[in-house]
Amino acid sequence: MRIDFFLVMAALLFTVGCVGVLIRRNVIVILMCIELMLNAVNLTFIAFAHEMRSMAGHVFALFVITVAACEAAVGLAIVLALFRRRRTTNVDDVSLMRW
Amino acid sequence: MDPLALVVIESTLKVGLVLGVIMTVVAYMEWVERRVSAWIQDRRGPNRVGPFGLLQPLADGIKFLFKEDILPPHVHRALYLLAPGIIFTTSLVTFSVIPFGPPIEIFGRQVRLQVADVDSGILIILAISSLGVYGIALAGWSSNNKYSLLGGLRSSAQLISYELAMGFSVVGVLMSAGSLRLSEIVDFQVRHGWNLLWQLPGFIVFMTAAFAETNRLPFDLPEAETELVAGYHTEYSGFRFLLFLMAEYANMITASGLAVTLFLGGYHVPGLHLLGLPPLASALVQVGAFCLKVAFILFVYVWVRWTLPRFRYDQLMNLGWKVLLPIALANILWVAFFVLRGWA
Amino acid sequence: MRLLTGLVLVVMAAAALRGLLPRRPGLTVLAAGIAALVLLGFYPQDLATSEFWAGAVGFVSILSALLIVMHPNPMVSVLFLILNLFCTALFFLMLQAQTLAVLQVIVYAGAIMVLFVFVIMLLNLRAEEGLRMSMGPQRWGAIGFGAAFAGLMFWALRHRHGAAYVEPKPFVEGFGTARDLGTLLFSDYVFATEAASVLLIAAMVGAVLLAKRRLE
Repeated sequence: MRIDFFLVMAALLFTVGCVGVLIRRNVIVILMCIELMLNAVNLTFIAFAHEMRSMAGHVFALFVITVAACEAAVGLAIVLALFRRRRTTNVDDVSLMRW
Repeated sequence: MDPLALVVIESTLKVGLVLGVIMTVVAYMEWVERRVSAWIQDRRGPNRVGPFGLLQPLADGIKFLFKEDILPPHVHRALYLLAPGIIFTTSLVTFSVIPFGPPIEIFGRQVRLQVADVDSGILIILAISSLGVYGIALAGWSSNNKYSLLGGLRSSAQLISYELAMGFSVVGVLMSAGSLRLSEIVDFQVRHGWNLLWQLPGFIVFMTAAFAETNRLPFDLPEAETELVAGYHTEYSGFRFLLFLMAEYANMITASGLAVTLFLGGYHVPGLHLLGLPPLASALVQVGAFCLKVAFILFVYVWVRWTLPRFRYDQLMNLGWKVLLPIALANILWVAFFVLRGWA
Repeated sequence: MRLLTGLVLVVMAAAALRGLLPRRPGLTVLAAGIAALVLLGFYPQDLATSEFWAGAVGFVSILSALLIVMHPNPMVSVLFLILNLFCTALFFLMLQAQTLAVLQVIVYAGAIMVLFVFVIMLLNLRAEEGLRMSMGPQRWGAIGFGAAFAGLMFWALRHRHGAAYVEPKPFVEGFGTARDLGTLLFSDYVFATEAASVLLIAAMVGAVLLAKRRLE
């Protein structure tokens, strides 16, 4: 049951990415953990494409990569603009909330 | 014998041969560069160490190896040590998919003169050269030095900009050959004539992008001595610096090999079948032809370096994005027209 | 599988020993190397199985993912993410997805991560600014949530087979090649492809505008 191995790997990577987004305070590391989660999702798509012998999973994974590229570009541009205003990359310091 | 063991032996021999030849050529490229630059500048090159200065690379290698291994205290140790390794490894791995001869028969086995005949050959080269950018970026970052940082940033930006132009110029070749495999691209050129003849804009864009990808003049601002001390390899000395230089020459050899394979017909010698040589001799002649073509492109590299002045950084980025990309796109349209009409 | 378990135990023991004996790194590496060679001598036939290599790549992948989250220096975190993406590309190769594996290395590990490296170099982020995990209840809440989420996914995986197990069809010639992928992209999914190109242009324009330095 080889596909179970890949699904378990993807689940573990996704969990590590989730915990990383919640734990780390540096905005760039948070973006990287988001990329890790998207990567785990890609692995699941390809594993199921292999199981179902259908290339639709590959096409989906390619679009996930495309969207990840766009999101990384725009996210990093926002980080740059934020850094210019606040001189910090710590998400705790850019909160305008009262508490 | 066990077929798996045969494959392992064959691959090991091929890897050993290719590595040996590339490392020797890398060492002697330095000699070629110095002699050709001397010839262009109307002076003698190295001619004291051995006949015609042929042992000069050996002397330079010994000098580099015996230098004191300095690890500056202010660098980030792990990244500083990793960067030359990354760039040297990637520059050697990219040569593995380039076919340097036709398939031959040895001891009843069909042997491809190519270390790895992968289905997505050309994409592997693009992938590994994308990974090579990290070597330069990390070298600039880990040195903790503003000149290195600026040099590393500029060089990485230049590399990723010209990767695009290189990829686009190759699309024309891929469309006409109908495959990503480098051996099939060479087969197509054997049947239909060299790609240089009818895809000239693609070839020019590819050569320009290859010059930029290997950080050679006229695109070597990031490592020019008068501009940024020595750019991203300011803090490197001795053997690690030698690794950067060797990686640059190995990248040049791979780019030349790729140019020959994609545009100059690879190992094809027009009219060789008329001579009626036995297959092994004909294969040797074709390997020799491949080496001659690569040597010619390397000579063009050295020639351009000592002829043209250096581009300023904004001129360089302008050229990559606003000039080469549209020419490459026009080349794609031109080739697409030919492929659709069935003339290719 | 014994070889894989043994090698994983050797690596973990070496890491633990490195923590205990920080002044003798050579000794740890030597001991780990000898143990690994002894294991290789005992179980060499495991090297030819694909389960061993899948497990080895999986181990490196999980380890690098954990190190992304735990390492204080953001540049080193980027390197571990590149290693993780490369391991995922190797997984894709094992799953007969050759074109997507190479595209993953070209696009994801070779271009998107270069963006991250550039931003870290531009902002000059050093180790002390990357540290500072959230303290207090958020940290334990996050770890607890992670454990619960992992438990939920394992439960879902275990109770996956609702319908009867269907024998999978054999592979079509050319599954995973660029030709197959390209044919699908431009025939069945052509609208999505064109929409993706519009999305890329929008993202490019957006990124340039957001990061533009206003010359006052």
